[in-house]
Formats: sequence, structure tokens, C-alpha cells
Amino acid sequence: MKQIWIIAKRETAATFDSPIAYIAATVFLIATGLMFFFGIDGSADFFESRQATLRPLFDSAPWVLAVILPAVTMRLVSEERKAGTLELLVTLPVSDLTIVLGKLLGSIGFLVVALGLTLVFPLLVIIVGDPDVGAIIGGYIGLLLIGITFLALGLMTSTLTENQIVAFILGLLLCVFFWTATDALIKLAFERPPTALLLLTFKNQFNAFAKGVVDMRNVIYFGSVTAVAVIASTYSLKSRNWK
Amino acid sequence: MAAQPVIKVGNLKKMYGDFAALKGISFEVQGGQILGLLGPNGAGKSTAMKILTSFISATEGEVEIDGIDLFSDPIEIRRRIGYLPETTPLYTDMLVYDYLQYAGEMRGISKDECSKKIHDLARKIGFVEKIGMPISTLSKGYRQRIGLAQALLHNPKILILDEPTSGLDPNQIVEIRKLIKELGKDHTIILSTHILPEVRATCDRIVIVHHGEVVADGSIEELDGRVTDTHVMIVSVADKDGIETDAVTAELAALDGVIGARVSGFGNAPVPHHDFEVDAKADLRTALFDWARNGGHTLLELRRKGMDLESIFQRLTQEA
Repeated sequence: MKQIWIIAKRETAATFDSPIAYIAATVFLIATGLMFFFGIDGSADFFESRQATLRPLFDSAPWVLAVILPAVTMRLVSEERKAGTLELLVTLPVSDLTIVLGKLLGSIGFLVVALGLTLVFPLLVIIVGDPDVGAIIGGYIGLLLIGITFLALGLMTSTLTENQIVAFILGLLLCVFFWTATDALIKLAFERPPTALLLLTFKNQFNAFAKGVVDMRNVIYFGSVTAVAVIASTYSLKSRNWK
Repeated sequence: MAAQPVIKVGNLKKMYGDFAALKGISFEVQGGQILGLLGPNGAGKSTAMKILTSFISATEGEVEIDGIDLFSDPIEIRRRIGYLPETTPLYTDMLVYDYLQYAGEMRGISKDECSKKIHDLARKIGFVEKIGMPISTLSKGYRQRIGLAQALLHNPKILILDEPTSGLDPNQIVEIRKLIKELGKDHTIILSTHILPEVRATCDRIVIVHHGEVVADGSIEELDGRVTDTHVMIVSVADKDGIETDAVTAELAALDGVIGARVSGFGNAPVPHHDFEVDAKADLRTALFDWARNGGHTLLELRRKGMDLESIFQRLTQEA
């Protein structure tokens, strides 16, 4: 629908109108840059290792995205709720789903820009070595998908409150939880964790991409989580009815 | 459009938890009518408007707008409504023009048509010089105008304006009222207010809401007839050589046509004086003047109290 695109355009403009987008993009670039050159724990050295790989980048970037993307999405609905503009938006002749999709699409604009900035790293690897280009493309598709999933989760928490800070913290907890804690929790809960369950964690789903394998099952996985967050956001937006 | 009601509201109820914001209100608005929803803050005016614009849902009741059931096809109804919420919803990070363009595009108006419409409205409502400014720099009066322009962009059949003159200065209020009156020629309008003169100046019909109920519904003339059975007169008498307020009250109460009298205040400027409020069956200003002259009282003030919302409410809620 046309309105999704109109909302997305406005959201992208509004995102880049606020300093948060620039801070988030800078943090993303610095954090991923550090980890690319020195490894996730600072033990490796890109130039010493003599390995033409982006694995350190792909291992660390989801971490950073889980932290910065909720900062970008926190304003999406909270700000409108607080300023009263939500009353205009939801009384325009558009459905609540259209609004949610428009806002998600608008925030993807930021993600694309942020990921685009990191393209200097693969470029560097290609210049100095002979990397597996397939793995790089796969890794970026994975980052895009997991990023969209994080954005959808952040958007969902933004529909819950008019306080942007609360939306940010909830979004951050949710994203970090899904990225790291699911794995640990499963291992805690089971003495011998079922492989099927372990496969369902964000980390395992994402790792397939980082290896350069773009499997439809992994795409559908992130798509499904995003869809659930989008539906939850739509219902949350509708819940103004019950208040 | 003759006697066909454009808006029909039947037994509308809204509960916020245990609190009943609307206890079942019903009213109809005819095409081309300007209806004033009148009531004190918290009476349920905004709640009713938020339901009509499908911002919130109703707990119970029926709403039919332009022959369409609100709860089965809210999006179709939104197309026909222009809405100015009480909070004036503006994206302060946008320019006036961009904001209106956005609102227009969201309603499916083409870019060119929208641009023409924005310039038209800017002339009509009076914000031509602000069209390229960031909304964040505008005063409350201009923000209200931009909000109104937003509600008019798609030339809606129905306009719903929640407190359209709140926060404006007296000159702006007069202008906006004039504009609403003019818009009433080809739009059906519901506006809410707690200011009685506003209703007098703009509305064809009044629905008075109080504690979530309709306590009166009629034309201004009809309601005036109901509430002006009693005239309230304010009499201010100088306190020369210590007048006895009780005695004066008794004297006033004994006058022909007076229902009751009471002390309503006192003051020291320019000379010490006492104020009395006199309820009468008619406008007794002549009789009261004669009473003061004959009794040797120095009259500082003698006026008929305007029928403000408060007194209307007192009457209407006492009746109920």
C-alpha cells in the first residue's frame, strides 16, 4: 500500500533528523571496527592473523545491533503517543497494520545505512586478501535479517509506552535476551539440550548466514519472528481502545 | 440535504475501568448543522469525539455516520471526517508545508492537488507567511491554524473540532469562530467547548454533556428559555456608616419579583462595599436602582449576571 511508503519516508527523515541516528551509527561503526581489527575479546589482530575473513565482524555485529537498534526504534510510537500525534495518525484512513509496517520500513532505512558504512571492512579484506565473497554476502544478508528482527522487537516495545527510555530499555533487554540468553537458558534447563531446540536460537540461525549459507529456513525463521513482533505491535496499537 | 441526520449517536457508553466516562449519550446531527458539545472539563466531550473519530472504541452503543456503521467500517468513516484533536497533533520536527503535504498524501490526495489546497487554506485560515517555517517555531495560535488546515485538507463532509479555540488570544478566537461559521455552510460540524459565548457565536444547536450524560439538547433559543426563568442580579452597595448586611438582604428579598437574595462578597476599593446577589423572576435592574435611591444607598454596581455555563449547569443539574 502507498501509505506504508509515505509513513516510511517520514520515519526515515525523522530518524536522521535526530542526533540519535548519528550517535547510533557512529557507535556501530566504532564497535564493529574495533572487533573486526582486534577480535571480539581483543585477543586477535586482523593484520597478524593473516586471515582474509570477516568472521569477527559477523560474530560481533549482532551484539552491537541489539544495543543500538532499540535506541533508533524507541521513538517510533512512544514519541507520537507523548506528543499526541498518534491521535492524528490512527484517525487517518489507514489501518493499524499499515502504520506498523510503515514505521518498520522507515527504521530499516537506518539499518541499511549503518550496514552500508561497514562495507569498508569487506572492501579492505578484498583488497588485502582473497576472502570467500559468498560468505561475506551471506553474512550481510544475515545481518540485515537479524537487524530487521531487532527493529521489529524495538518497535513493539515502543508501542507499549509513551516513555522512550522505557521503550529503549525493554527493547534492549528483549534483543540481548534473544541474541545471547536463549542459548544459555536452554543449556541450563537441559542436561543434554536437544539439538532441535538449540537450533532455534538467534545465534544458531544467524551462524548459518555467517558461514555463507543462505538457507530459506533461516530466512523464514527471522521472517516469522519479525511477523510475530509486527502483529503484536499492531495489537498493542489497537489496545488504545481498551484504555 | 434536508432532514437526514448525518451523524447518529445512540446510547453511547464508555468505561475506563470502573469509571464511566460516558453513561449512554444519544444525539443526532443534521447535514450542514454546527453542533456544539458543551460541558465542563471531564464531562465526556473529548471521549465522545475520540469515539466518533474511531481513535478509541466504545464500550456499548451505536454510531452511524453518513449512513455507515462506525464500528464495522471505521476506515471509510475516517475518509469523510476532518478531526482536530484537543492536543493539536503536529510533528514539530517538520516544516508546515511538509506536514500538511504528509497529511494530504496519507489521505490519498495527489501532490499537485495537495499543494494547491495547502496554499488555498493558508490564505483562508491565515498562515501564508508561516508555510515554510518549522512547526516548532510557531505560536499556539498558528499551531491551532495548522491543525485546522490539516482537518480541512481533504474537504471532509464532517468536521470534528475538539476545543478549536483553546489557547488562542481574543482576536484569534474571533477569527477562528468566523471561519468555523463559514465552514458550517458546506460542512457538518461538531465542536466541543466549555465556553458559552463560543456556542452562541457559532453553533446552531447545543448538546450539553455533564458527568457523561446529555442534560440538554436543543437550539440556543430553546435552551435560553429553559435557563433564563431566573435572572441573577449583582448589586454592589457602598458601606457608608456600617450598613447592616442582614437588613439589606432582607430588604432586597422583600422586593416585588425577587425570589431570594444573599451576600456574595465585599471589597475595599474604591470604598468599602458589599455585594449582593439577587435571584429574580425578571430583569429587575430598574426596580433595584429605585430601591437604592429611595433607601439612600450608594450604588457602585448594578448588573445582570451573564448566563455562563456554570449557572446553566447549576440549573440543569438541579432539575435533573
